[in-house]
Amino acid sequence: MALFQIHIPILDDIKANGLMPTLIAKTDETVTRLTAGLNVGDVRSVLRGDPPKRPNPRTKPHAEAFWMHMRPTYFHKRVMPLYPTFRLGWLSMYFLVIETITGLVLMLWYTPSPLVAFENMLDIMANVPFGLMMRDLHRLGAEFMVMVVLLHMLRTFITGSYKKPRQFTWFSGGVLLLLTLFLSFSGYLLPWDQLSLWAVTIGASMAEATPMIGREVNLLVRGGPDFGTNGLLRFYLLHVFALPLIAFIFVGVHYYKVIIHGHSLPPEDEPVGEDTARKVPMDRRSYFLPDVATKEIYWVAMWTALLILMVTVGNWHAPLEPHADNQVTPLHTTAPWYFLWLQGMLKLGDKVFWGVIAPGILVNLVFVMPYLEVGPSRRYIHRRVGLTIAAVSVVAFSALTYMGTPFYAVSSSADQEVVAALVPQTHPGPLRSTPFEQLPAGQYAAAQWKSAPTAGLREILELYEHELHKYGDELPDSEGMMIVEDWQVGLKKVTLRVLWNSGEDTFEQNVFLHQASGYGE
Amino acid sequence: MTAEAVGAAPPLSRREFLYYLWGASMALFMAEMGGALVWFSFPRFKEGEFGGIITVPIADIPAPDAEPKDIPEARIWVVNLGQGRLTDERQPEEYTVKAGIKAMYKICVHLGCLYKWVPTNDRFECPCHGSKFLTTGARIDGPANRNLDAFPFEFVDEQGNVLAKSGLMGSGKTEEGDAVEIPAGAVALCIDTGQRMQGAPNTEPGGGI
Repeated sequence: MALFQIHIPILDDIKANGLMPTLIAKTDETVTRLTAGLNVGDVRSVLRGDPPKRPNPRTKPHAEAFWMHMRPTYFHKRVMPLYPTFRLGWLSMYFLVIETITGLVLMLWYTPSPLVAFENMLDIMANVPFGLMMRDLHRLGAEFMVMVVLLHMLRTFITGSYKKPRQFTWFSGGVLLLLTLFLSFSGYLLPWDQLSLWAVTIGASMAEATPMIGREVNLLVRGGPDFGTNGLLRFYLLHVFALPLIAFIFVGVHYYKVIIHGHSLPPEDEPVGEDTARKVPMDRRSYFLPDVATKEIYWVAMWTALLILMVTVGNWHAPLEPHADNQVTPLHTTAPWYFLWLQGMLKLGDKVFWGVIAPGILVNLVFVMPYLEVGPSRRYIHRRVGLTIAAVSVVAFSALTYMGTPFYAVSSSADQEVVAALVPQTHPGPLRSTPFEQLPAGQYAAAQWKSAPTAGLREILELYEHELHKYGDELPDSEGMMIVEDWQVGLKKVTLRVLWNSGEDTFEQNVFLHQASGYGE
Repeated sequence: MTAEAVGAAPPLSRREFLYYLWGASMALFMAEMGGALVWFSFPRFKEGEFGGIITVPIADIPAPDAEPKDIPEARIWVVNLGQGRLTDERQPEEYTVKAGIKAMYKICVHLGCLYKWVPTNDRFECPCHGSKFLTTGARIDGPANRNLDAFPFEFVDEQGNVLAKSGLMGSGKTEEGDAVEIPAGAVALCIDTGQRMQGAPNTEPGGGI
């Protein structure tokens, strides 16, 4: 006497064929749906390394499934080993994914406001379980990614893989390089320490050197007369939303072009002027399922293990300088290493030419290079000019990078440099790293370092004396004093005084050291 | 391109013409939206905050030839140029110097770092790339390509009347913000931090044009 009938089909099957056969059939059906065409038997045959059936069911996921569609059904066997690609393109993608995951994780504990950003960093590094590891992985991944993307570009140039029909692949890769650099640059501001604020201020000021629209571009980017609440928020939005969105779009374009044209073969394997990468003969195929897929899983595991080992056992840690202070530019501020070449160029002269025009021309040349360099052969012997230019560029880049470091040129007055050697403005340095108990209260002269009561004091006073001698010309008849006072419980006040010209001129700076700072550890 | 080839293409129909017109108006609309977006994104400036007018009491202004005074809210160094500073031998000759007060913008004109006052060397020095400037604002060394920027200001008395205001001095290439002596009866200095006056070009080694 039911108002409606409930009809469960599976019960019919169980009644007709028995429980076990029905469950097996259902599992098979589910697996086929999940893999878009491979049933349990096919999956097993893949894992056992059997030759595929005819017609080959392993092409179905690539034809019919969303995620598998862009991965090719097979690669040419000659592009599988380390040479010619060194798998750098794959590695670039890996790092993008690592950065996205660690970045998402860090977003749980970070707020883009100057009032709390620095505190959030301290929280992540000291209070959140695995917080330090996530932050270090994110920073290490970023540094690796810039390096890997640059190496990938170099490799693509050397093997001539930018030539027809792959010119736009190179162009989209250039866009990705710029995006990588800007992602890294925008992320730099987020910790809101001194390095963040001033490195980014200098970078944005270079944008101001652009003729005509420079001042407006700078104001838009900063959201205010200087970097503050609005600037941090804008850079945060760029870093977590706008730039990743554009990056994902261009990765799609770039990768699609690679697959559509076929991965370029080693230059020596192709007849000159022909592009045979698309037609891969049957006996030269390395199928995605299972060979490439399993290798990729292995490489992911290997690289992830390497990164985690580096930040834990290897003790690699992302730095954090003192809290951003927009009233004080520290001595010896430096740009991130991949922008040091730009700083080096700026030291050559006028900032409009060397900061905007020259880099602009160079970047544009890189983008349009495949439309200018149209020689038919990819062989190395036919490309001596191009390869020489690449070698010269690498050397020039390295030289400019060295010129961009603080060692090349900028210093303040000698008295401030001496004190900065003991208490640097950008990292803890020797005095702050000295253990608290090794600094007993008293007045100490640098010249008498040998008779200082503790090992820590001897080390620091010896360094003090050494620095004074180094600047002996600018500081004649100099004398260095260090006065340690017990200021409060667990807090010492250290006064560093430099006297020269027989005591006529003095410079003094105070430092406060707390017992629990833990700098030396 | 013969007349026959041109004539062979179909004539413009009404539908096609209207499509082009519509396309042009869509393009104009998108351009207007873009303009609105840029205007939306521009920072706003407020009175009392940096970007607006900041008032400094006369008592905070240093004596003539004394060290410059730091006014953090206005992002400036207030310098009082007396006879000693005017006759400084390091001063490049091309630029006009007058006695009086100047409000120098703290941001180095090279790439945006804050330059420091270094008493030992009696000059401003920028820690980032080594540009060096005198209290008059004149650049004497380093990669900066002009003298320090300054803000215009007015002296006001107790009732708020303007007693004196700064303008420009020099002419042509050496034109830049001028110095004004403190008038009698002035109680405060009002600095307009929204109107920055760029320093005169200065690119020669040792200072000068």
